[in-house]
Amino acid sequence: MTTELDPLIHVPTRLKIVATLAALPDGDALSFTRLQDMLALTPGNLIIQLRKLEQAGYISSTKTGNGSAQKTTVALTSRGRAALRSYTQALRDLLGGLDTGATSPGNTVDETSEDAELKRRADIATRQEPP
Amino acid sequence: MDPVPRTGEGGGFDPGQAADLLDQATRQARRQFTPLTPALFAFRAVVALVVFGGFWLSVRGQHPYTGHISGWAIAVAVVLVAINIGWTAWVIGRAGTGVSGPAQRKRQAWTAVMAVVWIIGYAATAPLYHAGVSHPVWGLYPASAPLLIIGLAGAAVAAAFRYWPLAGTALGIAVAAAAAGFGGPAGSWLITGTGLCAVCLGIAALTAWRQRRSTVRP
Repeated sequence: MTTELDPLIHVPTRLKIVATLAALPDGDALSFTRLQDMLALTPGNLIIQLRKLEQAGYISSTKTGNGSAQKTTVALTSRGRAALRSYTQALRDLLGGLDTGATSPGNTVDETSEDAELKRRADIATRQEPP
Repeated sequence: MDPVPRTGEGGGFDPGQAADLLDQATRQARRQFTPLTPALFAFRAVVALVVFGGFWLSVRGQHPYTGHISGWAIAVAVVLVAINIGWTAWVIGRAGTGVSGPAQRKRQAWTAVMAVVWIIGYAATAPLYHAGVSHPVWGLYPASAPLLIIGLAGAAVAAAFRYWPLAGTALGIAVAAAAAGFGGPAGSWLITGTGLCAVCLGIAALTAWRQRRSTVRP
């Protein structure tokens, strides 16, 4: 079970970048300008965030053309897609755990996540039992 | 171990906020990258009902049947079809702006192939017109056969491209067109119109659901 949130993705701006690129089909890339328009970010801020994601291998960027005609496109790598999947799963686990924790104060996040997972497994086992 | 980063850039950003932001960003991106929007399909449902319904109103009282469609119905059809083509071109252009890669090229190929299929489907009626076929045949043929050709060809092309919702839509169009064949020269317009309207509303609902569904919460 994954319960740790990837600190590289767990930043609002980078989460939006990764979520936006993940909405494209695998292998497709998005121009820097379109991404900037969609997220309403300044070029400087976007460059900083993209560099961090690229250093982690979550995105790849390609430059084409020269001078003023130069175009930069960015795409989510398979590693980035896998990281977002793990992050999403961790969020599900944590939110499930927090929901359970609301009825049993005093539990830590880890304990409530485990309780939620056990409850989910018990529910699934009950559903799978023949009548 | 604390699963939520408490320090650095993500400090203070709790999982609930992150889930909301992830859903919001994903929904926005899906809406922007999807060329076929629910609103466009809902408009197409109205177009199908108004255009084919208008043709049906024109021909339903004809005794004997002449197949003549009144000028107002043709004018309404031309205006609505032109708006549909313009809107479709605009959303396809908007969705593809700044996007490159294999899936984008595949989508462009699909659009080109389907444009040819639509042209061939309706161009196939011209030889019949010039051959001077009887009015009942001529009345039945344009209401049913082009959409049968387009639906079946579209389903085959969509399946080849692995666009399963579009393959289902195209098959739905083919079924509506085939059913219209049993309605007679006048009734076929009404059956085609209501069938296309139902198919378009169905795909609008499916597209809206796919765009709005949460990536985190069940």
